[in-house]
Amino acid sequence: MMDDEEYKHLIRRCIRCSICKWIPQLQIKSKKYATICPAIDMYNFHPYSGGGKIILALALEMEKIKPSEELRDIVYKCTECGGCDVSCKFLNNLEPLEIIIKLREKLVDLGYGPMPKQQQYIDSVKKNNNPYNEPHENRLNWLPEDINIDPNAQVLYFVGCTSSYRRKEMAIAACRVLNAAGVPFNILDNEEYCCGSPVFRTGDINTFKDFMNKNVDAIEAKNIKKVVFSCAGCYDTFKVHYPLYRNYNFEVKHSVEFFNELIENGKLLLTKKVPLTVTYHDPCHLGRNAEPYKEWKGKVVNLMPLISIHVPPKPKRCGTDGVYESPRELLKKIPELKFIEMERIKEYSYCCGAGAGVKSAFPEFALHTAKNRIQEAEDTGAQVITSSCPFCSTNLQDAIHESDSLLKYYDINELLMMAIGITDEKLKEFLGEVA
Amino acid sequence: MVLENEIFKDFEDIVGKNNINDGKVITTAYAYNWCMEFFNYMEDKEPSPFSSIPKAVILPASTEEVAEIIKLCNKYGIKFKAQSTGLGPWNQPSTDNCIIVDLRRMNKLVKIDEKNLYAVIEPYVSGAQLQVEAMKYGLNCHMPGAGPHVSPLASATSMAGPGFTSPSTGHSARNVLGVEWVLPTGDIMRLGAIGLKKKPDWYNGDGPGPSLRGIMRGWVGAKSGIGVFTKVAVKLFPYPCSTDFTITGKSPNYGFKIPKYLRLYVMDCKTYEFLEEVMLKVDEEEISFMCSHLSGSGLAAIFSNSLQGLIGKAKLAQLKVPIVILITARTDREFDYKQKVMDNLIQELNIKDIIGKSYSPEPVFYAEALRSNLGLHGFITTGSFQSSKGGSDTAAVCLLSTKMNIPLKMEYIKSGAIGNDSGKGVWMTSYESGHYYHMESPTMFDQTDDHSVKGMAEYMEASNQLDLLKHLGAPFFVEGTQMHELFGPHMSNYHIWLRKIKQAFDPNNIADSGFYISPHSKE
Repeated sequence: MMDDEEYKHLIRRCIRCSICKWIPQLQIKSKKYATICPAIDMYNFHPYSGGGKIILALALEMEKIKPSEELRDIVYKCTECGGCDVSCKFLNNLEPLEIIIKLREKLVDLGYGPMPKQQQYIDSVKKNNNPYNEPHENRLNWLPEDINIDPNAQVLYFVGCTSSYRRKEMAIAACRVLNAAGVPFNILDNEEYCCGSPVFRTGDINTFKDFMNKNVDAIEAKNIKKVVFSCAGCYDTFKVHYPLYRNYNFEVKHSVEFFNELIENGKLLLTKKVPLTVTYHDPCHLGRNAEPYKEWKGKVVNLMPLISIHVPPKPKRCGTDGVYESPRELLKKIPELKFIEMERIKEYSYCCGAGAGVKSAFPEFALHTAKNRIQEAEDTGAQVITSSCPFCSTNLQDAIHESDSLLKYYDINELLMMAIGITDEKLKEFLGEVA
Repeated sequence: MVLENEIFKDFEDIVGKNNINDGKVITTAYAYNWCMEFFNYMEDKEPSPFSSIPKAVILPASTEEVAEIIKLCNKYGIKFKAQSTGLGPWNQPSTDNCIIVDLRRMNKLVKIDEKNLYAVIEPYVSGAQLQVEAMKYGLNCHMPGAGPHVSPLASATSMAGPGFTSPSTGHSARNVLGVEWVLPTGDIMRLGAIGLKKKPDWYNGDGPGPSLRGIMRGWVGAKSGIGVFTKVAVKLFPYPCSTDFTITGKSPNYGFKIPKYLRLYVMDCKTYEFLEEVMLKVDEEEISFMCSHLSGSGLAAIFSNSLQGLIGKAKLAQLKVPIVILITARTDREFDYKQKVMDNLIQELNIKDIIGKSYSPEPVFYAEALRSNLGLHGFITTGSFQSSKGGSDTAAVCLLSTKMNIPLKMEYIKSGAIGNDSGKGVWMTSYESGHYYHMESPTMFDQTDDHSVKGMAEYMEASNQLDLLKHLGAPFFVEGTQMHELFGPHMSNYHIWLRKIKQAFDPNNIADSGFYISPHSKE
């Protein structure tokens, strides 16, 4: 990630072109679904956009504005989805997303961040190891007795706080599929802690590092070779952000990657027909934001006045290497499932609206964004929208409910369970709770 | 609160509480724009990227709301500055006694008239949005060189509006039909056929009665200095080739399934005299979708999407006087005909096309050409650029301007203030198959470097002086009282007439004239 010097340089380079408000210009297919930024779509004033927040960073640095609640509210009305970042970087070399993240860190340092509601989550993470104010000892309450856990396995399923406490059906589905494939796996039991994503995304880096260390220590102590996630947020945090602060000695996979490989290797058999028309929502944390940072060691060479290049070329993180194909391949392998795409997909997918503390601090904003996405899904003619992230799951289901949509939401692993032919009473019970 | 409570409340009553803000954070952010640093420096101010801070920002949703806002501005003596997609310093207030009217919520594509080839749009419909909807009918729109992300309405009513497709789609002034215009008094005026009492419609921009199109926008538009345009009809054209627009891969490494009936030619004319001959002949045949001259470095830039990629195209940058021609067609027969014409011209002129021989562009180039995304490549090298010149004239005058600018530009390149394009950095396109031409000199600078910003400002001023001294016409960014008073006396005293228009249409001087003309010469 950028250092302070680069931050101070880049915040002077926005040309206010507003490209950050749109999906990449070459990908625009309709007037209706041309935009990428949930915040500017909701609040309309330019500072809510990616470029607008770069201007705010500059104005703060130049002391044209002071830290204030007004500033904080605008900066935190952002899902950090990174859509602006992808669109900007098609031709430019700015780093809108990293600037927004750093601007939040600065507000935290100045005593103006995060939002009060988000602070409650952070306090709960510190106190309970999860953001939901739930007792740590209840972390495994979701776990059906008949799921086979192997304490000696080298594969670990990292459940995550949201699946442990709020989206239990996702945890059950992931475990059922692992069992069905005959993959021995372990879980961390009481040693699993919040991955730190909620605190990282609201700008509290020190707390984030504490949780990173607790999790990595626990996993490495068990001699784990591979960690599997069904939560896109945990996966992104482990894959992209942990290595910025600490190296670890295990491989990380999202369940869509791992299960797709199991199907390809013949270890997971999809025998049941699932005759549904399904569209897939790319979670930001599994898609564009799951692209790891690539280490660059080089120098800046001044070719001629005003023109410098990085030697060797510095990798640009553009969302190109997110996890896009695995979930699609997986869905296409389900018998009689008809897969259909929305307009905004993959690196220019529209955000569900829940991320970066928005769902807790600005629920009306989160819902507005999710309704937009649900409308887009409906326009495909799909019966089902699926995804692979518990935050997207909650927010999209809230939007389905609020907009009286006929769409159904299933986690992608629930669709896999249908294709494998597994039924689960406890899962039904949890789904009943959700309904 | 910067606005007095009572005044704020009056504005709020028009748009609702979520659509007005006079907080320090929002208003300061609206004071920032591209190139403000050297525009400030040109006005003897600090080279800051911030303009005057507006008193408030207001987001109307309808023409009626705009009219009410402007009436309130008249009542309270507060100036207004309207913006749509908002790119560039001409969106900025010139005084702190001003509110920004951000037209972002007015984003309806009102209609596409397939039969009569026009679309009616509001200010915040972008070029790409209009184009993709027009494509559903097999149609296309003119897009300004600024790119597909900007507002065609703003360009049609308030800017110059040349584009890469100008040989086939003209420029923005030539594409505007009916107009809905909120005058600086708050009255709503409808120009063209939409102003008819019986059967009003948008198909014609001139009449009933004498045309006011010249007053409404003139050559380069008034940048909100004469009111706010809330709806406009723009011409549509048959889409130049198949409308199949399939992008592959992932950003920024997009591929493109090149549609049938597109062919690109790039040739080095070596001299400006020969370039003129080639351009005139190609244009005379009325076959080109695009026909542009760029410098070698400019040519390399439009084929690159990064600085690193551009450096890898050093051979292209070495071409002396390149011409880029894109022909398009809708049928085999049309395509064959156009290619034959080009083949004959190439033979007759004894010139070499390098495409498919020494160079083949990435397929995504064609996508960017069709979507008019090429102008944005100007930012790749130094982070920012701005154009001097901007003459709209014969090919000969445009090229004379190009040649005369080289020694001047080289002075500033040698000083390290502006990017090195050998002084030849230029973009020239024909309008409407060569009826006339547009030329501008994009100049790269670094907005984070004070030496570069100041040098850029000085270069722009020197370039303007050169235009005057050598009778090269006014630059297309001739805007603001100072510039009009500089060029007006040399150009039939147009500034006197422009001022009379301002006085007649804006009796209370409420529309911010920072990029238009003040009603009084000493304001």
